[in-house]
Amino acid sequence: MTEPLVKFRDVVKRFGNFIAVKRMDLDIYEGEFVAFMGPSGCGKTTTLRLLAGLETPSEGEIRLDGELMNEVKPHERETPLVWQSLALFPFLNARENVEFGLKMRGFDADVRREKATKWLERLGMGEFIERDVSQLSGGQRQRVALARALVTEPKILLLDEPLSALDAHLVIRMQGVLTKLQRELGITFVYVTHSQSEAFAMADRVVIMGEGNIQQVGSPREIYRTPKNRFVAEFVGRNNILSGTVQNVQTDTLVVKTPSGDFSVPNPEDRTFQVSDPISFSVSADLVTISVERSDADNCVECNLISEEFIGSVVTLFLEANDGTELKAQVQEKELEKIDPKLQISYYMSWPTRSAHVLENNPSEE
Amino acid sequence: MSQLIKKRRIDSYALAWRLPIIVWQLLFFVGPLLFLIAMSFFLVKNYRMVETFDLANWARMFSKDYFWSSYLYTFGMASLATVVATLIAFPASYALAFKVSDNVRRWAVFFLIVPFFTSYLVRTFSWYVILAESGIVNSILGNVGLGPFKMLNTPFGTMVGFMTLVLPLLVILQTLSLSQIDKNLIEAAHNLGCGRIRTIYAVIIPLAKIGLVVGALFCFILSFGDFVSPYYLGGSSPPTLSILIIDTTKSGQQWPRAAVVAICMMTTLFVMAFLAIRFAYRKPAS
Repeated sequence: MTEPLVKFRDVVKRFGNFIAVKRMDLDIYEGEFVAFMGPSGCGKTTTLRLLAGLETPSEGEIRLDGELMNEVKPHERETPLVWQSLALFPFLNARENVEFGLKMRGFDADVRREKATKWLERLGMGEFIERDVSQLSGGQRQRVALARALVTEPKILLLDEPLSALDAHLVIRMQGVLTKLQRELGITFVYVTHSQSEAFAMADRVVIMGEGNIQQVGSPREIYRTPKNRFVAEFVGRNNILSGTVQNVQTDTLVVKTPSGDFSVPNPEDRTFQVSDPISFSVSADLVTISVERSDADNCVECNLISEEFIGSVVTLFLEANDGTELKAQVQEKELEKIDPKLQISYYMSWPTRSAHVLENNPSEE
Repeated sequence: MSQLIKKRRIDSYALAWRLPIIVWQLLFFVGPLLFLIAMSFFLVKNYRMVETFDLANWARMFSKDYFWSSYLYTFGMASLATVVATLIAFPASYALAFKVSDNVRRWAVFFLIVPFFTSYLVRTFSWYVILAESGIVNSILGNVGLGPFKMLNTPFGTMVGFMTLVLPLLVILQTLSLSQIDKNLIEAAHNLGCGRIRTIYAVIIPLAKIGLVVGALFCFILSFGDFVSPYYLGGSSPPTLSILIIDTTKSGQQWPRAAVVAICMMTTLFVMAFLAIRFAYRKPAS
């Protein structure tokens, strides 16, 4: 295993009484696209700022390329950041903005111009090299900001919600630009976002943060299919979360008693449960079936339709079990015709036992 | 047709709002200014003004060495005051804008307004106690065997007065314009390898350029036209243009010659203001 490019060891960051980052341990490897995702105030931006040296850790160690970075000033690091506001200098034109970092490193004017031009052209900004920043569109400014960060050929690029100010169709375009760029350059991208679709679309590994803790690290698929705890399951969304107590323990399944009914779930290999232990599990909304008649699947619960969200080929139904537990189901639009949804009509939601996934407790509850 | 009526109605509404300021400006600015210009061509005979058109006043003032030396001295002192005040004020404004809490900044701006509670003339007189031959500064310096230094009735005294006049205003203007700067841009500069001191002239000064130039322009305008400091602290030696105006009107009721000096001062300020504003809004050439 190669040495990680970035190492966080027991990193704590406090602002007065508020703890933004609680004991973070994380390795980021060369050439990885890592996305930090979480609700606002979860510590993801603080983590990025710690990496850029804009904050200093209260405790612990941050190493970049093996070197201890705790006390290294921001302007002495090679950790360019693409800002949410882009932070382009309004008194400089596109090329001068890109040249800024080179100028600070003492490159000659002709070398600066050549490199800046090359990067702007690479990002499809060839026609706009001498344009004022104020004359560029949002997407074009984005590209200038990227070129400005990449022109010094860093090993790592930090991105702080760079796409949040763009229109939806531009976001998809820029996602393509970013992933292609990251693959071609082979450098590490650390990307902070609150958008699941951005993180899942681009990242090799996703770090879910909540309340200053890392809640789960894994591939987008792992996080989507096997959320580690209730926080992740709720944050990722489209998960049905049920809680209750263990009623019956078998070798490969557990029977869980919940207010909505009794359900069987796979018995996790890494934990042992005893009868009457509290337990939570999740069932992804796209793994359940909705029917008008009670089905003979492993698990079945009666529920009422509250509302539906139509986003094209997939429809999300929001339902409620008899005890008031909220449930969600994602169904194909064409299947919807079969069940003919009218509000306040009773349905049955069912799923096979293997679709259920036992959750751990949130770290803050331990 | 209906469109025409609509358009006319909006115009008269807008005009109703604009009218008071137009009338005010015509009555109290354009009118007196035109009269001042006309007066510069009048002649004084037997202590009475004769309405005529004669270039004699202009010819006389422009041919006198004392006019040109006053002009140069006034221009030089105002320029020096602008540079000195900007250099003294900037570190304070920088600290207030970036290195203190919002609360401290609010109090600082409040206390910077306090000097305006008293007349500038009163504040100028209070310098007598400090700068006089036997004043506070000289008695302190005397204790360590230095001095006494002559500070009153010198250009140094004039400069102290100018600072009294402009510094509070300048620090307020600079602080307000520096605190408008997007902090992300400063962090972005650091992130791109720009050290703290370099960030001041590579990023902060260009971003606050308009505010800094307008502040400097105010320094120049206030110092250039000031009468109080050069008269009371500078001892009128040498005289500035505003002192020249007073002297000219007192000696033989030469209002038309004073008008010539006044027009020269106003023209200078118009040109300086125009150049300063043009410079402030121009993008730096790369």
